[in-house]
Amino acid sequence: MAIKEKGYIGWDGQLQKGSLAWFPILLQGIRTVWKKKRSKIVFFLTGFPFLIFGAAIFALNKPELKFLTEVIRTLKSDRGIFNTFFTFPQLVFMLMILAAFSGSELISADLKYRALPLYFSRPLSKWDYLVGKLSIIFFYLLCFSLVPGILLVALKFLFSGSLAISFRLLMGILFFPLIISFFLASLTLFLSSLSANTKLITIIIFIVYIFNDGFAELLRTILKNDHYYLLSIQKNIIQLGAFFFGTGKSWKFPLWYTPALLVGMSLILLGLLYIKLRKVESQA
Amino acid sequence: MEDRQEEILRLENISFSYPKVQALKSVRLTLEDGGLYGLLGPNGAGKTTLMKVILGFLKPQTGDGRILGYPLRDSILEIRRRIGYMPESDCLIPGMDAVTETAYLGRISGLPPTEAIKRAHEVLYYVGLGEERYRKVDTYSTGMKQKLKLAQALVHDPQLLLLDEPTSGMDPNGRREMLDLIKDIAGKGRISIIVSSHLLPDIEAVCRSVLIMNKGEIVAQEQVQALNQSSANVFEVKFTGDTERFLAELSRLDCRIAEWERGISKLVLPISETPRTLFSLAQRNKVQIRHFKRVQSTLEDAFMKAIGESNGY
Repeated sequence: MAIKEKGYIGWDGQLQKGSLAWFPILLQGIRTVWKKKRSKIVFFLTGFPFLIFGAAIFALNKPELKFLTEVIRTLKSDRGIFNTFFTFPQLVFMLMILAAFSGSELISADLKYRALPLYFSRPLSKWDYLVGKLSIIFFYLLCFSLVPGILLVALKFLFSGSLAISFRLLMGILFFPLIISFFLASLTLFLSSLSANTKLITIIIFIVYIFNDGFAELLRTILKNDHYYLLSIQKNIIQLGAFFFGTGKSWKFPLWYTPALLVGMSLILLGLLYIKLRKVESQA
Repeated sequence: MEDRQEEILRLENISFSYPKVQALKSVRLTLEDGGLYGLLGPNGAGKTTLMKVILGFLKPQTGDGRILGYPLRDSILEIRRRIGYMPESDCLIPGMDAVTETAYLGRISGLPPTEAIKRAHEVLYYVGLGEERYRKVDTYSTGMKQKLKLAQALVHDPQLLLLDEPTSGMDPNGRREMLDLIKDIAGKGRISIIVSSHLLPDIEAVCRSVLIMNKGEIVAQEQVQALNQSSANVFEVKFTGDTERFLAELSRLDCRIAEWERGISKLVLPISETPRTLFSLAQRNKVQIRHFKRVQSTLEDAFMKAIGESNGY
C-alpha cells in the first residue's frame, strides 16, 4: 500500500541538538560546489602550483639538481620556498577565482529563490547560517592553501629525512592560509549578499578581484603614498608573506597593518552581513 | 515522542509596529493542542506578522507568550525545532532534487543523516511527489512546489504546522489534494495546524476553528459551526418602490446590506430582530418585497459580520 494511501505517518525518533547546526550547510555546500560544471578544471589549476613546488623541494634534496637553487634564489631557504609558494601569483589568482567560483551564489541564490524562510524557520540562528555558508568557501580555499602547505612540509621531511623547521615558519604555514582564506571567504560572501541577481554578483566579484590591484597601483602612482597598496588584495598578500616568513618589508608601512586590516575587514564584513540577514529575515 | 502540551500556543498582549503602521495590537490568543485553526483576515490584517512573531522572525515590542511550552522571547530555536512552516512565497533551494532538498532541510531541523533521507522519501510520497522526487526542484510546476513546501515542513514531524496560503496558485485538483492532505494530517491528531488563507471556502472545508483578524486584532475566535450559526440571520431579498427611506430605517436598526447581485440584496439582520420587522418596515414605507429567502449562512457571512463589527458598522 502506498504511503499516501496509508495517511500521514509521524516520526518517533529524537531530533538532534548541538552547537553544529551549520554543519549540514557545509556538507551540502561542499557537494554542490564539487558537482558544479568546470569544478575539476578550477581545482586542477588551483592545485598546480603545489605540483611545481613539490618538484622544487624534491630537486633541492637531490645533489645532482642542486644547481637549480643557484638559478632560483628563493629556493635557497625554507622561508623562501614557503613565502614564494603562498604569494605565487598564479596561486593567489586561482584562490580568488576559487573563492568566486565556490561562493558567488551562496547567498545571492538564496535571495533569488527566496530560500531564507526555509532556513530561518528551523533551529538555525543567523550566525549558524553565516558560519555554514562561510565555511564552504573557507573549506575549498584551505584545501588549496593550508593543505598544500602542510603537504610541502611532509614532502620536505620525506625527501630530506629531517624535519628541521622553525616555529615561526610553522606558524606562518598555518596562519598565512587561515587569514587569507578567512578574508577572501568573508569578502566573497558579503559581495554575494548584495543582490539576488546571481550573474551580476559573479561579474562584480570578478571585477573586484581582478581590478583592485590596478586601482590601488593607480592611486599609489598618482598620490605617491604606499598606504594605497592596502587597497590591493595582491599587495596585502605579499605583505602578509613578509610578515609571517620574515622576507623583508616591501612597502613603506608597518607589516602588522596587513594582518590587522585583513582580519578587521573580515569581521566588519561579517557584521554587515549579519545586519543584512536580520533585515531580510524580518521581511521573509 | 515528546511530552504534549495541553496548550500549544498562548500569546499575551503581543504588539508589533512597523515604522508607519501598527501591525499587531495587544493580541491575546490561546490555542489547544491537536486543533486545526483557520486564520482569516483581509489584506493588512496582521496574519503574516502574527506568523512571523510565532516563528521569531519578528520580536514583539510588548507582550509575551509561550509556544509549545517554551517562552517566546528566550527559546526561539527550541520552538522552531518543533514547528513546520510552509511559506506563502515561492521558495526553494536551487540546483537540488526534491529528495536532497527535503533531506537537507530535515538535517538542519535535527534529523540524523540516514533518517533525514528515509523521511524525505516518505513525506514526498505522502504529498504525491513520489514519482518526481529526483527531478530538480527548479523545474517543478507551481502545484508541485506547493506540495514540496508542505513536504519540507513535515519532514521533521513537527508538533505545530504553520501553513501560509497552502493552496495558492494551485489548480482545482491540486487544491483539493492539498486540502485532503491537511485534513488527513490534522485527523491523526499528532500535529496542530494553523492555516492562513484568504480563501474562505478552503478554511471552511478543512478547519474546525477559525480566528478572524482585522487591523492587527483578533476580532473573532470560534468553532466554524458556531460562527456560522451566529450569522444565521442572513436573507436574500428583492424589493421595489421608494427604497431610500426604507434602507435608512433598516440601517438605523443595525441591519446591513452585505451584497448586491442582479437586483438581489443580501441582508444581514441583527440577532435581536426577526423577518417580521423587515416586512413591517416595508409596509410602512410602501416598499414591495418581491423575493425573500433565508440563505444558508456560510463562513463568508460570518467573516463579513466579524469584520463589519470590528470596523464599527
